[in-house]
Amino acid sequence: MDRAIRVEGLTKRFGAFIAVNDVSFSVKSGEIFGILGPNGAGKTTTLEIIEGLQKPTQGQVNVLGMDITRDSAQVKARVGVQLQSSAYYDYLNLREILALIGSFYPKRISPDLLLEQVGLQDKATHRVRQLSGGQQQRFTVAASLVNDPELVILDEPTTGLDPQARRNIWGLIREINQRNVTVVLTTHYMEEAESLCHRLAIMDQGKVVATDTPQNLISNLQSTYTVTIMSRDTLTEDQLLSLNGAVSSVQIQENNTYIIRLSDVPRALDSVLEGIVHNDIRLEHLEVAPVTLEDVFLELTGYELRD
Amino acid sequence: MLALTVANLKMMARNRHTTLWSLIFPLMLVVVFGLFSNFGGNNPSLAVIDQASTPQSQALVKQLSSISFLSSEPDQQIDDVQSRIESGTLDYLLVIPESFGARGQTPPTLTYSSNNPERNQLVVGAISNVIVSSKIAESQVDYGSLIPLVSTEITVQNVSFFDIALLGLVSLGIMTSSIISVAVKISTYRGQSILKRMLVTPLAIWKYFAAEIAAHLLLALVQAAIILAVGVFIFGAQIHGNLAWIFIIVLLGSLVFLNLGFILSAWANTPSAASGMGNVIAMPMLFFAGAFFSTTSLPWILPYVAQALPLTPMLTALREVAIYDAPLWQVWPQLAALGGWIAGTAVVAIKVFRFS
Repeated sequence: MDRAIRVEGLTKRFGAFIAVNDVSFSVKSGEIFGILGPNGAGKTTTLEIIEGLQKPTQGQVNVLGMDITRDSAQVKARVGVQLQSSAYYDYLNLREILALIGSFYPKRISPDLLLEQVGLQDKATHRVRQLSGGQQQRFTVAASLVNDPELVILDEPTTGLDPQARRNIWGLIREINQRNVTVVLTTHYMEEAESLCHRLAIMDQGKVVATDTPQNLISNLQSTYTVTIMSRDTLTEDQLLSLNGAVSSVQIQENNTYIIRLSDVPRALDSVLEGIVHNDIRLEHLEVAPVTLEDVFLELTGYELRD
Repeated sequence: MLALTVANLKMMARNRHTTLWSLIFPLMLVVVFGLFSNFGGNNPSLAVIDQASTPQSQALVKQLSSISFLSSEPDQQIDDVQSRIESGTLDYLLVIPESFGARGQTPPTLTYSSNNPERNQLVVGAISNVIVSSKIAESQVDYGSLIPLVSTEITVQNVSFFDIALLGLVSLGIMTSSIISVAVKISTYRGQSILKRMLVTPLAIWKYFAAEIAAHLLLALVQAAIILAVGVFIFGAQIHGNLAWIFIIVLLGSLVFLNLGFILSAWANTPSAASGMGNVIAMPMLFFAGAFFSTTSLPWILPYVAQALPLTPMLTALREVAIYDAPLWQVWPQLAALGGWIAGTAVVAIKVFRFS
């Protein structure tokens, strides 16, 4: 089977509010697929429909070749799920919680093996609240693996974690993926989407605005560099656009700071720098960086995604 | 499902605070009621019916009224008085026969219930002494044939207020813990997405609820057993009926209240709201259903409201079975009413329940 998830024309309405608006994408078996978008973009709703927690208003969702409404129990048996900010029983220890959740599945992995996989073997008799934030998140990932799933769905697995704990979870997700488990995750961290995911769907206001590998998304932007300048004088957008033909877009920020995006033309960088000199722009600061996913997002949605 | 039930019980055992406190409140009331009914009571009462009306008998009546630990009552009709002994509102009845004082006399008869043997012994002795000494004073002594008193012990159900109140307290414990603990627990789980977490597993939903209910029913039985045991062994309450039947009624009542808890959990947005709502439902119900006071004299439509509450059939059935030793099938109207409540609340609970 080549598609782990196939979503076609998925729409979810809550009264007049359209949370998910005619969304289509598919997830290949064996990849790490990310859904990137700001809060309220419809990421969680989309996942909850795939997980069988919500019914679609319209559209088709196939998971592991099965229809989610018709074969709900079978889908659930073969998919592992980590919910956003889900807690676990206060009065059971880690091993007991995993054993309990495992008891709901026809096929299960021993709690101790799971805890070992996420590096929590020495916390087996601890309660969830005794763990640090990163450990709790690793535990919820372990809990999503109790049924030895072919597909795991992780809803914002690193939200609220410090950078080190976040990298730790990335490593864990890669390990899981290397055991040939398809991973779908949502995130609003650019860096996470770019470095962890094989392919991405960018969601905004209930719609998927692009689906591709992070590299393709970036190269499809047809920009090569962003040049950020801080000048002593106030400049207009026209002034900057007329620097030369290589400037594809300009963004004006506070404190006379301007972000200039360069088109993919030969010698774009040289010619813009020349233009700055010729136009007598008095620089305070200059920064040149290759375009990132951040720029893709800005291009697609018109605003920046902040943590 | 078994695993989930066991896990639920384990969590209840570990969450000692909640589980203990849900027991302590009714137990505390058991202690209060028990102390008042055992030590706050009055002297045993004695009614004397003087059928002889001779100077001797009148002198005897006067002497009897001076026994300090008996509170004498004025003359009464004999039928009336006898039924009062049976109902427990009068403790002792002394009848002085017409032929009292004549030679070849008939001795007075003392009637009392068999419920309090130590006290009976004391009272019989005291009254006999008074009679004997009054006869010695009048030099009518015929030592050989003197029978000062004929005792008639009648066996009546000893129904004290405490016995009735104890059943009310059992119901109180079951009701508050069932309603409040389920409502609080479910709204907590919903807040923590634990309910959602269950939903993404292939576990059938009915199994989830069955396990919750099974664990709570077991808790209800333990609670009822502890409250009854404290009442009986520490404060001397009497239970005449079959314990198994008492527990069956406890289970049925508990089911109604668990369903109410599930319904409340759907309305309450936070655990503390759930707890408050539970109290608002449980406390008035406790008094209106007549757990401690009779509701028949309430004004307006309130007596009918009282009859319609689910706690009323539970209490009635518990009393019939526990106090009057009625077999379970004799309380079928109450059981049917409970069954109706179980079905009705289950339907509503299924309708309004929400997972997120």
